[in-house]
Amino acid sequence: MMKRAHLAHRVVAVVAVVMGWVAGLAAAGAEQPRGEGVAEKFARLPIRADGPKSLDPAKGSTVYDNQVICQFYETLLQNKYLVRPASITGYEDVSEPLLLAEMPKVTDSPNGRQVWRFKLRDDAVFHDDACFPGGKGRKVVSEDVFYSWRRLADPAYEYENYWLLQDTIVGLDEYKEAQAALVKAGGGGKAFDYAAPVEGFTKISDSEFEVVLTKPVVRFGWVLSMFQTSIVAREAVEKYGDTLGKHPVGTGPFVLKDEADWKPGQNLVMHRNPKYREAFYPSEATPKEKEQGLLGAAGKRLPFLDRVELVFYTPDPVMWQDFQDRKIAYTQVPAEYFEQAFVKRTQKLNKEYSDKGVQAEAVPLLDFIFRGFNMEDPLLGGYDEKRTKLRQALCLAVDLEEQNDTFYNGINTVYDGPIPPPLDGYPKGGKAPVSFRGQNLRKARQLLAEAGYPEGKGLPEIDYYTSKGGNQAEQTQFEIRQFEQIGVKLNPKMVDFSELIEAINDKKAQMFGFAWGTDYPDPENNLALFYSKNKAPGANHYNYDRPEFDAMYEQIIVMKPGAERTKIIEKMRDMVIADAPFIGSMARTRFYLAQPWLKNFKPSEDFYNWFKYLDVAEAK
Amino acid sequence: MWSYLARRLLYSIPVYLGIILIMMGALRIRDPVSAYLGKNATAETAALKKASMGLDRPFLPIAVESKDDPFGVEPLAQVGRVGLYAPMKTQYFEFLSRIVRLDFGSAEKPYRSWQFESEDVGAKLADAVWPTLKITIPTLVLTAGIAILVGLLSAAMRGSAIDRTLMVLVVLGMSISVVVFIVLGQVFGSSWLNGKLGFELFASNGYEPGIGNWVRYCALPVIIGVVVGMGYDARFYRAVMVEETGRDYITTAIAKGAPRSKVIFAHMLKNAMIPVITRVMITIPFLITGSIVMEYQFRIPGMGKLLIDAIINKDFPLIQTFTAVLAGLFILTNILTDVLYALVDPRVRLA
Repeated sequence: MMKRAHLAHRVVAVVAVVMGWVAGLAAAGAEQPRGEGVAEKFARLPIRADGPKSLDPAKGSTVYDNQVICQFYETLLQNKYLVRPASITGYEDVSEPLLLAEMPKVTDSPNGRQVWRFKLRDDAVFHDDACFPGGKGRKVVSEDVFYSWRRLADPAYEYENYWLLQDTIVGLDEYKEAQAALVKAGGGGKAFDYAAPVEGFTKISDSEFEVVLTKPVVRFGWVLSMFQTSIVAREAVEKYGDTLGKHPVGTGPFVLKDEADWKPGQNLVMHRNPKYREAFYPSEATPKEKEQGLLGAAGKRLPFLDRVELVFYTPDPVMWQDFQDRKIAYTQVPAEYFEQAFVKRTQKLNKEYSDKGVQAEAVPLLDFIFRGFNMEDPLLGGYDEKRTKLRQALCLAVDLEEQNDTFYNGINTVYDGPIPPPLDGYPKGGKAPVSFRGQNLRKARQLLAEAGYPEGKGLPEIDYYTSKGGNQAEQTQFEIRQFEQIGVKLNPKMVDFSELIEAINDKKAQMFGFAWGTDYPDPENNLALFYSKNKAPGANHYNYDRPEFDAMYEQIIVMKPGAERTKIIEKMRDMVIADAPFIGSMARTRFYLAQPWLKNFKPSEDFYNWFKYLDVAEAK
Repeated sequence: MWSYLARRLLYSIPVYLGIILIMMGALRIRDPVSAYLGKNATAETAALKKASMGLDRPFLPIAVESKDDPFGVEPLAQVGRVGLYAPMKTQYFEFLSRIVRLDFGSAEKPYRSWQFESEDVGAKLADAVWPTLKITIPTLVLTAGIAILVGLLSAAMRGSAIDRTLMVLVVLGMSISVVVFIVLGQVFGSSWLNGKLGFELFASNGYEPGIGNWVRYCALPVIIGVVVGMGYDARFYRAVMVEETGRDYITTAIAKGAPRSKVIFAHMLKNAMIPVITRVMITIPFLITGSIVMEYQFRIPGMGKLLIDAIINKDFPLIQTFTAVLAGLFILTNILTDVLYALVDPRVRLA
């Protein structure tokens, strides 16, 4: 009996010790309640992926690279945070100086070239870092701009972003070729000469410089705001080499204190740059943003947050749950949760959320979602009347509104042509004067008969390549049913994305499902998809080839935005709609929810350096 | 035993070489570079990327030149369209040499991940091992321990209410999808419970290093892992134990008046160790590779999440290395299992 009692005491003691240990560990790991004894302003923000692959602008290419890199590095221009016009004709509509003291002065030369004169701010300095003498960041000078852009021409960075400056700056393409030859001759050693001259780069002083363009390239104005052209310090590149990707030394509002602040795939903690220059919250806004009360912080110094933790979420449910638990300041609304947050019919926030003061924002994306045809395919391709009518019939068979409603909660924008809103050339209300957007089965059947395939008779099965994943299988079934209504049979080939690309590049895919995210808000970027010089394996996956279109494209890339350019763009748009190299189109709208305590929240997916404008209410 | 070990290791070499050959070949059926690069990739960028990974070199010392794939490296000898190459200049032998040297990147000779361009593949794997082990080792130990106990108890009380109840519970645990347990765990075991407690006992996701953070970030995945994994093990161990209960030595022990607990724990358990060891050993490679679903859903930066993220991001060097390491682990585990058999059961001779 005594033995048993003794044993029982020992068991109780062991259990107590184990429970104490567990409680101790839990307490040690538990977070301090937000706001208690913590004076700093802190927010946890989500990134809906496993994060950036590198923090070096020359290596960045994805949206996620952009989201993080632009918090550390800065470009010459930036998008105006609160200016969201209904239509955009040129970069001046939405851009403002960031590292510049004023907007660039552009003059056309008699020889067809164009000169851009820049003046840098005199208070822009690099982050303090060991790469600089005494560890003190120095002022940004003209040479830094030239150096940063020359890097894009360095094969060490695999030309990942050179396309932004290709065929643009006088002498840069030649410089790239000459340096590539030098590197090759040197057996891949460090033979790249950053000091070699580029004809189009002219330093006037430490803060002023000129860049001469081969022709008036409209894209260049947009490129100046793109994160890949951010300004880096040569000292940092030389000290950190290819580990610069985890050691950002920029001029931006946030800094990494040490490399441990970034746990790839997990999170990244940014700290306010204590030496950030005097930069202020904007006082310019479009009417809607004014009405939303977003100008409340106008004139206040940036950034507002002392510390930001970017959390990388791959599974959506975890991000969603963390928002419900108020751990993150905002969230994108994954499609499967849309009806939990919004009333589908009205797209208004559910009462449960609005009562809590949760903020909602809809962000239209510059998307072009389509089903393409290979214009070199013997069955579907070609520009003769029969083939054109066949493609037009296929376009008219698909009900994009139903597809939008079934698979996207009806929140996408369905439109004619390849230019999404709000770009110049987007047809008013999404309806172009020339339209073969379905569903119009009567007309589809008629065109099919005129093409020589009455009720689809005699038309072989069409190989339709689309990538696996998501709800692609269901969407394909939907499309099979739509085509069956006019007697056309699809032979779906659900493949990996790499196989899809290969089939398109090899011109094997008769028809394919694809999407294009516009790189910069100029319609030229989307119309380039139909330029014959970009045929597969380039971005012209349709292998569309019309000399009239090409001639117009070559005109618009060097034309100043304005009525005349818009007219040509509309003509190009209508031409591709009539030729029907694709079935389309749709652009997604992304919905965001934000906690009531997050201030100045106006998300954008066209640019990402808006974390510096975010603030948190003191009492959360 | 040492000669047996040496022989088994030698026999395993051609098996491993074959696995690596098939794996590397399979990864090259589709061009890994075009799968990885984005929509703005040019042919020039693709060529540089290929060169950086040595993908422009011939795969094997004998290669046939094709129209689309000309010789990347000058052959030592060429007969028509067939070229002969120095083995170390080929992809297969170059990668084998990396495996032999366990060189998956260093400051002097980087071997970069494509997904995280400033990090070496070796460093990524090393970083991911610990979070995984912090989940898998406690899960394995607890699962095996509890499952053996449940198996013994059920076998000893075969047909009783306790036996049936235990079996219903473990079958329930294994029949419900792990994702359901994860969601329930995150909603009730984390969000709801933390709300009630007023502090965060179990985090719904994420990971921080340090033993002090173990309960917060690892306990919930471990509990779920045990609940899900126990069903398979407990049923298996029960079957093994039931078979043992009918053996002569058990009857003899009972006839000689040995106490029931001694019969179960000393006699039966010892004799049932071979299937137990087999079962435990086959899970050892998974200790390293982790649980993809668990790590993915809890955002634990372990090997499972590393692999799935690498696949999603088409991180070719990481996928290739991970697979090679996993294959090696399987082979070593099999050898280790055979050695343990001999240690546990003297009737087994290593010859």
